[in-house]
Amino acid sequence: MTSQPGRAALRRVPELLVIWVPLLLSAGHVVVFTLWTTWISFTPSTLLPEYGWVGFRNYQAILATQNWKIAFNNLLIYGSGFVLLSMALGMLLAVLLDQRIRGENVLRTIFLYPLAVSFVVTGTVWSWLLNPGLGLEKLVHDMGWSSFRFDWVVDRNMAIWTIVLAGAWQASGFAMALFLAGLRSVEPDLVKAAQIDGAGPWRTYLRVLLPTLWPIMIAVVVILLQFAIKTFDLVRALTGGGPGISTMLPSLVVYDYMFQRGLLGRGSAAAVLMLLTLVAVLTPYAVWKRWQRRQAARA
Amino acid sequence: MRPISRRAVLAAPVGLLAAGRVAHAQTVKPRLTVITQWSNGSEGASITALGKKFEERGGIWQHSPVPGFTTDMMNKLRAQILAGDPPACSQLKGPEIAVWSKIAPTVNLDGPVAAAGYEKVMSADLAKLHKPGGHWAALPIQVYRTNTLFMSTRAMDKAKITKPPTTWAEFNETADKMKAAGIASPLCNGGIRWDDGMKFEICLAGISPTAYRGAIMELNPKVLGGPEVHQAFVQLRKLADYMDPNVAAQHWSTFLPRFVSGDMGMLLMGGWVQGVLLNSSGFKQGDFIIAPGPTDNGKPVFVINSDAFIFWQRKEPDLTAGQALFAPLVMDPAIQTMFSQITGSIPVRTDVDLSGPGWSDGQREASKTLREAVAVNQTLLSLGHNMAQPNDMTAAMLDALTEYVHNRAVTPEQGMKRLNEAIESAS
Repeated sequence: MTSQPGRAALRRVPELLVIWVPLLLSAGHVVVFTLWTTWISFTPSTLLPEYGWVGFRNYQAILATQNWKIAFNNLLIYGSGFVLLSMALGMLLAVLLDQRIRGENVLRTIFLYPLAVSFVVTGTVWSWLLNPGLGLEKLVHDMGWSSFRFDWVVDRNMAIWTIVLAGAWQASGFAMALFLAGLRSVEPDLVKAAQIDGAGPWRTYLRVLLPTLWPIMIAVVVILLQFAIKTFDLVRALTGGGPGISTMLPSLVVYDYMFQRGLLGRGSAAAVLMLLTLVAVLTPYAVWKRWQRRQAARA
Repeated sequence: MRPISRRAVLAAPVGLLAAGRVAHAQTVKPRLTVITQWSNGSEGASITALGKKFEERGGIWQHSPVPGFTTDMMNKLRAQILAGDPPACSQLKGPEIAVWSKIAPTVNLDGPVAAAGYEKVMSADLAKLHKPGGHWAALPIQVYRTNTLFMSTRAMDKAKITKPPTTWAEFNETADKMKAAGIASPLCNGGIRWDDGMKFEICLAGISPTAYRGAIMELNPKVLGGPEVHQAFVQLRKLADYMDPNVAAQHWSTFLPRFVSGDMGMLLMGGWVQGVLLNSSGFKQGDFIIAPGPTDNGKPVFVINSDAFIFWQRKEPDLTAGQALFAPLVMDPAIQTMFSQITGSIPVRTDVDLSGPGWSDGQREASKTLREAVAVNQTLLSLGHNMAQPNDMTAAMLDALTEYVHNRAVTPEQGMKRLNEAIESAS
């Protein structure tokens, strides 16, 4: 009889192995390589890793480059534009789909479909659509409206917005799915109560449904923001960082310095700066989550 | 019966092993592990043909292509060097040969080079790049001229132009004529960084080879702020105005069909265009003509882009045998002839006769220009193709140049200032 708990523990070994081994491996991977990159960013490494110490020289050098300034500026435009546009479109689609319409499943699939397409494909397709000589502008010209102009992709001041556009096209379906789930999880009684009180549909959404959605909204913002900070392939395929270097993003700068120029130290410094940006976004979210949990426990 | 001594028993396997080793060394088959970026098109065809020659001479050819830009190939090379397993031979070019030869030991090729008399038959600037620290570590296999002008014969007919322009003033005149004849973008272009940088290189080399040497190859601040560089920026702005504004971030070769059809008139690009036009795009010799890029001082100027093989030290006898077999092959006039006839380049050796039927007029002209440019000391090293400066400096300079090409609001004065700032921050 005494062996019973021992046997039970033995039976749990495979489960523990299945969960913990991959988890530790992948966590180790992330942590070890993050630390290594951080270390390299303080060394004079160029083509190969070297283990001297140069302090913050790589950071100073990277922060002083035109490339980083442009990239960071673009990240602000792209990050906010992409998140806001995706959320606005996602919310609009979710509310429209929420009207118990026919063919909802088909429409939902269609709107979610862009998410199944990789960023490289999205970028390539949009680069054709947006190219004035091939895509939209030419189509409208051929239809007879010859003064129509839509050449953002080759205009260095507007090119970053084409990336916002393509990114939002892809991600708004994702926002829609989460919002729709949120809308559906609202107590029907609440909606009925609002209707009995004489609220029209507009007021019901604005005052009753949307306020219950805000935890989901914050989750969507955080997920989309970390998407935005990591974006690489979309820009590579859509504009290649051009015209000139006007659509550089931090991830492209990292790649450029590490792999094209062979400056591992500088590239690592840029990578660490990217990580810090991510931390700056995620820390308030984690703190807020914790606070929320504590509030819930107290209640 | 004599008892077998214990020593004999012990010695026997050792002897057998040693015998095996000796026998092995005698029959070792030369083997070469090679990394290049050449995977398809005329480039792929040329390296495959070279590998066949290597095999004909009894070697085992193990080629791993890494497609893409040269830097993508370098990432693979770096990974292998880090792992302590460099290829016996890899493609590498320009000042990077000196940079990389510091991070891993290379083979001293002084012997084979002297035996082939290779140094005497090439440009001194080019030779210097391949002997970091005074010893040959790499061998160039082919040379391209970057300042080459390709003209679409259909566009010439359309604009009633009979001969290619020779100076920049004539070039601008020709482009204006083409514009007047309804060719909206007389200059065929892509929109990638090195492409934009190369346009600047062609401008400055044509305006003043001496200034090019001072500004681009020696980074002399006085020359970089001088009137010739200013003039080159002015000409570059002109070129930008002749380009199709709808083309951005695309490879130049995307627009070859428009070039051949006469929708775009002139293309300033290296000699490799010929290989692409004839071998991979199916166009004919008569669709285009080849001329030297515009030069203002009347003497031939040749901006060199060259591909080379660097030899990494290996201990394995089959690999060292492979290197010993491959080095003379690279310098062999017949092999260089075969290689260049496929890619559209010209041989490194200036003593190769190009009168044979396998050569085009364009190649003959380029080869003649190279010989003459060597004689008047007007061979230069290409900026856009990482021949003049190491990669990090090149990248910083190209950033400033590509911004200038794409941003019409930047004046030539501002462009110059930005180029100087980029050089300062990268050095």
